[in-house]
Amino acid sequence: MSVATETSAVRRGSPLAALVRRGLLDRRRSPLTWGGSLGALSALIVAIYPSLEDQLDELADSYPQSLLDAFGIQDLSTPEQYLSAEMFSLIVPFAIAFYAIRSVARAIPGREETGGLDVLLSAPVRRGELVAAALVVTAVATAGVLAVVGALTQLAALAVGVDLPAGATLAGLASSWAFALFFAGVAMLAAGFSGRSAAISGVAAGALLTMYVLDLVGKLVDGADWVRRLSAWRYYGNALVDGLDWAAFAGLAAVGVLLFALGGRLFARRDVAG
Amino acid sequence: MPVIETDGLTKRYGSARGIEDVSMTVEAGEVFGFLGPNGAGKTTTVRVLLDLLHPTSGSARIFGLDTRRDSVAIRARLGNLPGDFAYDPQLTGRELLTLLARIRGVRGLGRAEALAERFRADLDRPLGHLSRGNRQKIGLIQALFHEPELLILDEPTSGLDPLMQEEFMALVGEERERGRTVFLSSHDLDEVERVCDRVGIIREGRLVAVESVAELTRKSYRHVRIELAGPPDAAEFAALPGVRDLAVDGRTVTFKTSGPLDPVVKAAARHTVVDIELSHPTLEEVFLTYYEGDGRTAGAGAEGRTAGAGAEGDGAR
Repeated sequence: MSVATETSAVRRGSPLAALVRRGLLDRRRSPLTWGGSLGALSALIVAIYPSLEDQLDELADSYPQSLLDAFGIQDLSTPEQYLSAEMFSLIVPFAIAFYAIRSVARAIPGREETGGLDVLLSAPVRRGELVAAALVVTAVATAGVLAVVGALTQLAALAVGVDLPAGATLAGLASSWAFALFFAGVAMLAAGFSGRSAAISGVAAGALLTMYVLDLVGKLVDGADWVRRLSAWRYYGNALVDGLDWAAFAGLAAVGVLLFALGGRLFARRDVAG
Repeated sequence: MPVIETDGLTKRYGSARGIEDVSMTVEAGEVFGFLGPNGAGKTTTVRVLLDLLHPTSGSARIFGLDTRRDSVAIRARLGNLPGDFAYDPQLTGRELLTLLARIRGVRGLGRAEALAERFRADLDRPLGHLSRGNRQKIGLIQALFHEPELLILDEPTSGLDPLMQEEFMALVGEERERGRTVFLSSHDLDEVERVCDRVGIIREGRLVAVESVAELTRKSYRHVRIELAGPPDAAEFAALPGVRDLAVDGRTVTFKTSGPLDPVVKAAARHTVVDIELSHPTLEEVFLTYYEGDGRTAGAGAEGRTAGAGAEGDGAR
């Protein structure tokens, strides 16, 4: 019986490519379901903008300043500001981050719970390849969902004649994408410790919520601005209105990838739950 | 060189029992049965071999490669059927096999199709819509379709109907004919006796014995219960070779025998037989034979139960 002593002699296909391909096929409906619903909501907001345009400034003036600060609203006199206040200050980042968390939780701990990981890891797949595939699939699928949101939003703007610059929408989507990748990284880090998908989703969603509260406290409490630095929401910012902060965008995405790498190392060292 | 070699392999979990100091070798081309009751540590052993669990101490080598350091190279050359095979329920068997073929660098699903035909497995229904037995067939196909040198089967026939169990076992025999090595974990003594060359017996995480199947069968015995038309003569049956623990109750005589059955049947035939029953010992009874009769595992926890006459039975023929 021959003994393979060199890894190069091992017969393998392309595990990473195969896993990414399968992962994307599994999520092929996401742009329709997640992207479709978020996009429809966003399109609706844009579509009703012309009918509200005249009253929005008065509306903004009638809100307490602290509420405006909390949602990062300077005023509501442009479509970007209105769309940002209604969609991109809360709903889009929450939803897309949750989608990304769920994508990671499904890919690794979800399969761990059902025994699917025993099947995959009986084949010549490195655990690092599983993690890399989860990262690529989550990043691409999240981008796909956001692309549909952007397309529907721009189509609505075009249809009702609202001047919504595509660059602004793109900036909002890009910062949402980096934000989602960050929380996907948090989920992967949690998966480095546990094989329970509910626990992992809980930890990552808990971090999402806690950071939101921190950001809010930093905005509302005098002298507490520094706590916002601990929150990904601060770096998410308000790209739709202010333009994309490239450093914050790259920072969020890079930390997300770093957390994936760290989670991957921990995952490789722990037992696969049976 | 052995295909599988473990040396003091130990896995301890927090509170649950793992495995303790398991040392064994499985030679190339043999069908090795890994026999033990549920919870004995069979699956833990398999999962340590696959590097899904990391051993607390000890080591294991497969194909001469370290199971921790060279796991990917090892897994490229083996096929594994987990006890309760499952994958994403929305995936069809074909989609899963395509994924695994791409991972393994196998071109086409030719052999998988042939196996599917043989086992009448439906490759085009989502796994979540299949019965346990039908899902298990897909599991067997994914373990075999890439022609692995080593086949690991963890309780492969549980949940299968008897016809399919038969087909499974026939396939294991064929794999042996083709020179493959098979590591078959099971709690079914009959199953192991039928297809295996050697058997490792595991109980409470410890490897109690490794025996050839012939030796296992020799140590095994049958329960016999014969009901006659009139009161039986105890001495007549007690004198038969290998008979022990004989008891007479009215017109019924019961005993254990590790001897040939022919004299038993002939002795019974001298009377009018109303009913006759032969049964295999339970796995637990076989273990007790080893615990009490072997002495090798003294102190390993025979739980103070009386062992019937396992030890005497060893020398009864």
